[in-house]
Amino acid sequence: MENIKTSIVNYLKDNSFMDKNTELEDSDSLTQSGIIDSIGLLELLDYISEKYSIEIPEDMLIPENLDSLHGLTNMITSLTK
Amino acid sequence: MQIMNELTRDIDEVALTLRHFIKEKIAGFKKKGAVIGVSGGVDSAVILALCVQELGAENVFGLLLPEKESAPSSTVLGEEICKSLGVEYEEVSISPILEALDIYNKKDHIIKRTCPEYDPNIHETALVLPDFLKTGAVNVPYLKLFKNGEEIAQHRLKASDYLEIIGLQGVKQRSRMIVQYMYAEKKNYIVCGATNKTELALGQLVKYGDGGVDIEPMADCYKTQVYALAKYLNVNEEIIKRAPSADTWSHYTSDQDFYWRMPIEIMDQLLYGKDHKLSLEMIEKNTGLARETIENALKHIERVEAATEYIRTAPPTCFINR
Repeated sequence: MENIKTSIVNYLKDNSFMDKNTELEDSDSLTQSGIIDSIGLLELLDYISEKYSIEIPEDMLIPENLDSLHGLTNMITSLTK
Repeated sequence: MQIMNELTRDIDEVALTLRHFIKEKIAGFKKKGAVIGVSGGVDSAVILALCVQELGAENVFGLLLPEKESAPSSTVLGEEICKSLGVEYEEVSISPILEALDIYNKKDHIIKRTCPEYDPNIHETALVLPDFLKTGAVNVPYLKLFKNGEEIAQHRLKASDYLEIIGLQGVKQRSRMIVQYMYAEKKNYIVCGATNKTELALGQLVKYGDGGVDIEPMADCYKTQVYALAKYLNVNEEIIKRAPSADTWSHYTSDQDFYWRMPIEIMDQLLYGKDHKLSLEMIEKNTGLARETIENALKHIERVEAATEYIRTAPPTCFINR
């Protein structure tokens, strides 16, 4: 779980979505905090799909799953089980 | 308060205000009339009718600008409204411009790598976003394939492919802008836009495409007000009833399927409620939506507005001589 979180934070930092020194809480909104917009979200989805070899079903593409580290981690965990 | 009543009231005064605006701006720019891209849709039909009322048909020029993937009905309805208003018009196909830039082939390559079963000789295509009210999903674009009008497959677009396809599709509206200015400058007319407030808020226009115009009279009219204007101006019922669309995909894709992601009367009531800072209770009474759905939809609209700010913004100047 912690690995997934670290990997997402590193992706966001490496791809200039957020500053290297920015701290992100598990429940922080990625869109409302201005870290990603709709295109950034698509890029993040592509990264996750490729890295974890998963297809994210349409009914899981909701803000609860995609807009925070907590939601993303839970979604990836459930899809890689 | 009934939001829909607010949106449709005093429409005669709205029409008059828009007419005066058109005349005043054209005079201010020292131009002689207006060129209008006539799409066969309700927005350009309303603008055309307002311009004819204010400027006289002899000072208005209509351009029908179809391409290979346009619905034939767009040209038929566009031609009809020009004829019924006595407006001189011309049809200029923009397909040769798109072919010269290899737009159709490039688009086909993206569709093919996204949808392996795609055969351009058999399938029609559309770009859609999931219905917000039914799914609550984020803005994730899907390419859909249709055969004989029936949907047969859908695939999620990768970010890089989505960006490329938006750029390719935008060439259609930008080509139309070029043709409109070619005629406007020859006639010493302005190019009059037909973007409405709903479209502007949601970034539903192409920068320097349909957004590349001299005036935007309806940019403060919600789409619902455009419909009210259309009825008031006796626009052809077929145009009013037709599902609004950018008409840039081979399968006719409505604005509800890509931009609004919900029925227009709901979207406009939400936008009106947000713009006028109405309470959630008031929006709830008007739309019949659950409070949580309204909160999520308003957040969604705010995200879209923020993401599309770039489209609405004129090139910023760095002032150094003030």
